[in-house]
Order: sequence, then structure tokens, then C-alpha cells
Amino acid sequence: MKSLRKISLHFMLALSLVVFGTNAFAQSDPSGTSAVTKTFAITNATVIAKPGTEMTEATVVVKNGLIVNVGKNVTIPADAEVIDASGLYVYPAFIDGMSNTGAKRPENPQRPQNLFTPDPPNDYAGITPENSIVSQMDISSSSIGNMRKVGFGISHAVPYGRMLPGSGSLILLNDAEHMDDILMAKDVSLYSQFVGAPGAYPGNILGIMAKFRNLYKNAELHKRHVELYAQNPVGMERPTNDRVSYAFHPVISKEKAIMFDVDEMLDVRRALRLKNELGFNIMVAGVKQGWDVVDELKAANANVFLSLDLPNEPKDSKDEDKSEEVKNLEVRRMEFYKKYVTQAGDMEKAGVPFGFSARGASANKIKANVMTLIENGLSENAALAALTVNPANAFGIGQVVGTVEAGKMANLMVSTAPYFTKDSQIKMMFVDGDKHVYDVKDKKAKKEGDDMAEETSSADAGAYGAILGSWSYVFEVPGQEQTGKMIIKMESGMLTGVLTSDNGDPDQDISDINFRDGELAFTMAIDAGGQSVEIIVEGSVDGNAYDANASIEQFNVSFPLSATKDDDGK
Amino acid sequence: MKNIFTLLLCLLSTAALAQVQKGDVLFKNGTVLTVTNGTMENTDVLVRDGKISRIGKDLRAPRGVETVDIQGKFLMPGIIDAHSHIAGSAINEGTSQVTAEVSMEDVVDPTDVAIYRALAGGVTSIHLMHGSANVIGGQNETMKLRYGTMNPDDLRFEGAPRTIKFALGENPTRGGRSRGIQPQSRMGVENMLRNSFAEAVEYGKEWDAYNSSSDPRKVAPEYDLRMQTLVDIMNGDVLIHCHSYRADEIYMLMKVLSDFDVDKITFQHANEAYKVAPELAAFGASASVFADWWAYKLEVYYSTAYNAAILTENGVLTSINSDSGELIRHLFHEAAKTQKYGDLSDDQALALITLNPAKQLGIDSRVGSIEVGKDADIAIFDKHPLSVYAVPQMTFVDGVKYFDLTDSKGDKRIFVNPESTISDIMIYERHEDHRCLEDANMVNFEDLFSNKK
Repeated sequence: MKSLRKISLHFMLALSLVVFGTNAFAQSDPSGTSAVTKTFAITNATVIAKPGTEMTEATVVVKNGLIVNVGKNVTIPADAEVIDASGLYVYPAFIDGMSNTGAKRPENPQRPQNLFTPDPPNDYAGITPENSIVSQMDISSSSIGNMRKVGFGISHAVPYGRMLPGSGSLILLNDAEHMDDILMAKDVSLYSQFVGAPGAYPGNILGIMAKFRNLYKNAELHKRHVELYAQNPVGMERPTNDRVSYAFHPVISKEKAIMFDVDEMLDVRRALRLKNELGFNIMVAGVKQGWDVVDELKAANANVFLSLDLPNEPKDSKDEDKSEEVKNLEVRRMEFYKKYVTQAGDMEKAGVPFGFSARGASANKIKANVMTLIENGLSENAALAALTVNPANAFGIGQVVGTVEAGKMANLMVSTAPYFTKDSQIKMMFVDGDKHVYDVKDKKAKKEGDDMAEETSSADAGAYGAILGSWSYVFEVPGQEQTGKMIIKMESGMLTGVLTSDNGDPDQDISDINFRDGELAFTMAIDAGGQSVEIIVEGSVDGNAYDANASIEQFNVSFPLSATKDDDGK
Repeated sequence: MKNIFTLLLCLLSTAALAQVQKGDVLFKNGTVLTVTNGTMENTDVLVRDGKISRIGKDLRAPRGVETVDIQGKFLMPGIIDAHSHIAGSAINEGTSQVTAEVSMEDVVDPTDVAIYRALAGGVTSIHLMHGSANVIGGQNETMKLRYGTMNPDDLRFEGAPRTIKFALGENPTRGGRSRGIQPQSRMGVENMLRNSFAEAVEYGKEWDAYNSSSDPRKVAPEYDLRMQTLVDIMNGDVLIHCHSYRADEIYMLMKVLSDFDVDKITFQHANEAYKVAPELAAFGASASVFADWWAYKLEVYYSTAYNAAILTENGVLTSINSDSGELIRHLFHEAAKTQKYGDLSDDQALALITLNPAKQLGIDSRVGSIEVGKDADIAIFDKHPLSVYAVPQMTFVDGVKYFDLTDSKGDKRIFVNPESTISDIMIYERHEDHRCLEDANMVNFEDLFSNKK
């Protein structure tokens, strides 16, 4: 278990805005890019209005952001743009249960001078439940378009941070000129994760659990005090304007749930433990190891969001002479891999409604991963429910989204084939009635799978050509030197990367890759015995040479890292 | 107002939901080492519903109860390790020097294969302790090694009293110095203990006044789980287990505790306890020591292998512990060393790893000896467990077999990381042996930059 390294950072920093197809701006339009009409008639389509239904030769009429009609013999309004969807499939657009979509990672709080580690300021401790994702939103973030491109109309976006970063909000995945245009519902959950403060209290899960209880109990007392004071303030000491406690008030009154980002089984249990002790409503998201906690999740009435990030399928050694022991170990590894990919199907059978969360999953792998879950026992209907009606119900927006029905918001996904087939491609998205069209590639001409990624990477290679590819790096720490490859790629408009190690250590993911004016920076998260340590690497690229410093803020140390770009023969 | 006790009740009620398995078994014709009632030859032990129901000769197995023939073998109470750091997802909340509010019960990791290794050494219960980075560390968790469950609550020793870790000497002062905070010396440690208790006395008074007020408009004082835990210690609800080495600091803590009317204390390690054995006995303090392990830092030089025997002969309740995922597998050898160094009797030596740690953990009414009515936590050996030739054969918890030497080969992990490499799995993770100062915020470059976790 301890060898399961926690990667607490994700490739979410938006670096480029990739715009496909038509963008329909809702605002006034001096540039002349706004849609000619906000009325659309999608005709001759196969409509999967909700899981388990199918209507052929149907028309969907969209007007001013709403679905106004769905059926066979519907009148097409005169002002409608008619879209002939012969051979196409219309689904409700997907809803992502948790991700940092649209969020810009804030600067890490500076370690204060003379930090008193037992009692750091709240922002350093990561206790800022009064904050909202809205303050971290960057409406020009490419992650919004990336998620839309793979079928999502809404993300439950949560803020970056540590233990209690703030509230998550429901974001419509549209291009907008103002945050308000895409903010569907503000602060629908209080977001929490078991991430300690670097070298300060609470530093790990031990402190976080205790701190959580303490904060909650004081919030309960504070709430009572505030209520008594509101009844009659005369002769009563003033309740403090304690923003942390205030943030818990709607949780205590059960108007708002706490969403825990908990991938591992033991962390799911810890979140449930807090729920059972303190009594709030709970959502658990990012769940990767839920198979042993199904009964507990049911008993807690938890809203469950399974992670769309799956482990890679283990590859057995090709060595012909491998020992029986190695063979057995490989069998056991495969047995556990199967638990990760069968849990969605198992939860379906156990009658636990669940959604999916995209945090940690790269957008271009989402469909492949859902297909993997289906190959391992999840029904297509349950998969669609997990992507549409279940999250809609969990967030209390089932009346307005989640199905293709008259009266609902026009959040639609149009696919070239039944979506849960290998070759299906997304041709069109409607979000809040705005149409987005995507190029569909001829599958036969290309290798299956990563066509979209290829398209994107070739488009962006220009700006990042200087860093994309393989580098040989040397990382020196006192008494030790590590060498290996630093591989930087462009996937779905996002820079991703990995550091391999020549001494056989597992690959280390790198995140937040930023390249501008010859300066390349990225971060790595390392698990040092339960405490997450962030290494920030910054340096300059000069031709084939990268000369950088890797620093660990919490220990106030830095070490040189240099790399040379490998000659790729070009 | 919900106080810590209601909170505790919530915890207990959650625990009660967890169903643990209980077994029925008849052990036939073994040599039974009862610890409290001497050695009984050719004796049977009948276990019903997880409890020892009869001890005697020619017992017959009730219908459906399996018989285990232990002729020529030795049956003893399951070994109890009063100081362990296995099966914890984290060990130290090392960022603060007083962390009474944190609890190991939140971090129990039932998937740690070290649990199985401990069972293979005849161990049935452990005291999962917070580390020694802090003067007042976290609360510990007393556990039964019911390996195979994925639910940490199933490992809980239901009904065991709460305990807490304290630490004196080099470890907490090292942490303080590395962070530039108190304590940086042994004087600072004592001061910190006194300040913490004194503060908790005031905290308790504030809450007592609040709770006894009948004013409907009363305003609650700030809630502080840390202070509340210290209040609970002073109320006698939490047993202290204190990491300590030197006689002077052991004596210091007894004086501090006297001043705050706290009398339930076990000194852990306590390598110099033999120097203050009569004082410990007079105070009623216990000691949980190593058999012969010392010299790994300055404060641990003045040590002797006679420590356990001297303490025992002076009337100090003494146990021998492992503090290690490796030593835990042969605690019976460690106990046997007191016969070489100190001539303890078989019962005295066995009590060091059974009844005495049970008393120190407040679970001796349930485990620690072979007596009718006690839990069927049992270890079977092929030779006398105090012989160097003894090999554990089978280990039972609540009458359920969790280890059997004849079925001990193969991969006993109950969780496998699908992204692990096979070579990593095969290498024994030696660095996990000593986790006392894990997360204590001292830069360890090997830990930081090696991906082998």
C-alpha cells in the first residue's frame, strides 16, 4: 500500500487555448463572430434522450438555450438553422463530478518568515473553506474546451489547494466573455482533500483528521452563538466574524454537502468516518478503490463519483524463464488491476448510483477509460447514467439537465456513431444552447485512438517545438545523482511530461509545465512518507540545453537539474 | 453540547457495526503454558465463539467444532506487542510538539503485510503507537491482528482503553531544534509538559462552568480537541505510554504527573529504568523495554540486558516490545533472553510478552493468559517458545486461525498496487522497520528522491 504513490498534482495548467469549430458568443458582438441564430433544429437524428431509450428519425429543436421540442413530427421554427443529423446520434451532454476545469492554479502560498509550524496561518495550512472556485476561474482556460471536446457540458469545478481549498461550482463548458455567463450554480459543495501543509500543521492525515473535527465542532458552536445573537444581541458577547466557521454553517444545516477527493480505499473510509461522527451530507469523488466500501457508501447515503483515471494495465514480463513466483506475482497484480476496472460494473450491480469525476484523468483518455469499464462489466446504460442523470441528480440539477427532453437546458452531444463504440467521434456539442462543431476524421485513414491528440499536437508543436520531445537529464542532490529521460509531450492541447529514471525507479509525472520566453518550469509531487513534497523546477532553454534549479520550498533547498535534448534524427 | 464523550460514543457505535469473526476449536493434548496458572501437560483447550470455554483433559469436541491435534506442541497466549508501528498509514504528525488530538485509529492500514509477518511470530495484538517526534504525541490504537479484512475497524481491540504517546529526550528536542521551536532541551520538554497540563486544567474549568450553567443564552468557550484529550488524561481515561531512555527524565515525568494527579504511565524503551526501579515500583509505573537493544544514539548507551529482570524483581510491571516490523516476529526469543540475563522463570519470562503488556494496555481481563472466559488469542509452537529452536506453528485470534505454518508460503498481501513493478514487490522493505521519527520533518534525501516507497 505504501508503494502506491500519490500524485497530488495534475496536468491542469492551461497553456493554450485550442478553439475548434464555431464559437457562439452570447454577448454583444463587435467582431461579428456571434451565431446568426440561437434556434437550431437537429433533424433525422437517433436520439438517446436518457439511458435505455432510443428514438430514430427524430428532431431536436433548440431555442435560446433550451430544448423546446423532441420528437418525430415536430414543427421546425422558421428561424432555425437546420442541421441534418442523418446517421448521427444525439445524447445529453456529460456532467463531470469533480475536476479543476477552468481553474488556474494559484501561486503556492509563500512560507512565512519565522513560520510557527504548529499553528501556521490558515492560507498556509490550506484551511480556506470561505474561498470559492470562482476566484480561481480563468474563462480562457483551454481545459474548458478540452472537456467540452470530449463530450462534457458541465463540470463541477473545484479549487486547487490543500485540506479545505474552498467551494466547488457548476460550470457550463462554454466560451464566455465573463465568468457569470458560464457559472451555472455557485458554491454547490464544500471541497476537501487529505493534503497536508508542507512542514506545518496539519502536515499529514493524522493532523488533518483531528483538525477537521476541531474546525467542525467550533463551527457548530459558532453557528449556535450567531443564532442566539441574532435573536437578541443585548448583553451577549459578539460572535467573531470567523470566516472558516461561517463556511461550515450551510454544511451543518445540511444545505450543502462536503465533497471529499479520496482516491484510495482508506481515505474513502476516513471521509466516511468524519461524516458518521459529525453528521454532514457527503460526496466522495475521485474514487479509485471503492470496491471494498460499497456497503459503507450506501449506508452513508454518499454521492459517489468514480475516478476516470484508471491505472495502466500491467504488462507481464516476456521472459520465457521467469520463475513461478514471478508468474504468481503477475497474476495477483492483474487480479488487482481488474478490481479497478470492474468496480463500476460491480457498483451498478450493487445498486449504488454513481457519477464520474475527471480530475487527474487526461481528457483524451476519458472515452477509452469508460470503454474499459464497459468491457469489464459496466452496462452502457449505467455508463451513460453515470455521465448524465446521476451527477445531475447528485447536484440537484436533474430538473434542468441530464436528459434530452423538452424544457431542459440545451446541453447536447452529437456523435457519429453510438457513443459507446470504438469508432464514435464527437461531431458537435451544444452547451447552454451554444453550438460547437468539431472536425471528424476518416477513421480508416488513421490509426485508431489518438487522432484528436495528434491533430492538436501538430497544431501546437510550433510554439512548444523547442521543448517537445525527449531530453536526457542529470539531477544532482548531495551524495546522489539521478539520470534518465525527461519526456515532454503535447496531448489534447496540454503539455504533459514524465521523468524516467535510469536506475529502474518508476516514472515520475511532471505537472504544471510552463514554457514562455525560453523559460521552462514544471513541478513534481513526491510522497515522502505520507507527506506530499512539491519540487519546483525552473530554468532556461538554450537550443538543446536546459539548465535549471529544482527547489523544495518547504525545506528551503535547491539542487541543479540539467538536460540535453536528444537528437531525434531530424 | 456534544463533548468528547458523545464523540467517543459515536465512534464506539460505528465500531460495534463492524462484525468480527469468532471461531470454535478444540486443541487436543498439548502442553498448555497458561502464564497465570503454570504449565499443564497433555491438556485440551476448548474454544467456543471466540472465547476459551474449558481447559482440561479428555475434552470432547461439540458437534461441528474442529479438533486441532497439538500433541507434542506448546500452546501459549497470543503474544502482545506493547510498542509497534506496523499497519499505520502515517506515524507522526511531526509539525507540532503537542498533538494530543491526533489518533492512530484514523490511520490504521489493514492491508499492511507486516500484520501477517507478526502473526507468523505468534503475535495476536499490537499497540500501534504514534511516533516519538512530539513531546505529547497522538493517541495510540490497541489492535487485534485479524488479518484479511479491508476494514480498519475490524482490527480494533473493542473496549480497550484509550492510550496516548508522550516522548522525552533526544527525539522531541531534535524536532524542536530543527524547526526553531520549543523544546530544544530536556528542560524545555518538562516545561512543555507542565504548561500543557496547566493549560488543560484551565480549559476544563471553562467547560465545566459552561456545562453547569443553566443560562439558556450561554455562549460556549472555544472547543479544543487537544486540550480535551489532556483533560481526559487527567481524568484517568487515557493511559500514558512515554518514549523515554534516561533515568533522570523518567524520574522527571513521574514528578510532573504527581503534580497533576496522573498515575497511569508506562515508560516505553526506558533503557535506564533499572536505575530507578524502586521509584517506578513505588509510583506504580510500568516499563516496556527492549531485551538487549541499545547504543543507536547517545541517550541509549547506558543500558543493560538485565533491565527487564531487574525491573521485574523490583516489582515493576514490565513488558518486552519490538518497535519494529522485524523484531515483532521473534518476541519469544526476546523474552527468553531474560533467562540468560537475569534468570527469570518461564512464567515470568512469558508474562513479559503476554500478561504484562496486556495489563499495560488495560486489556488483561480479555487476553494475556490461558484462562476460561478469556479471548481465544492463542499461539501454537513446536518447541517451548522460550527455546531458541521454537518455531511458531499456528496463530489464532478470537478462535479464528490467521496463521498456519503449513500454509504460509506464497503471496500473502491483501492489496496489490497494479502499477507496481514485480522486482519492487520482491524486495523486503527494510526501511519500514523503524518508523519512530517518520514525518518528523528532517530532510532525508534518500526518502525524498528515491521513488521506491
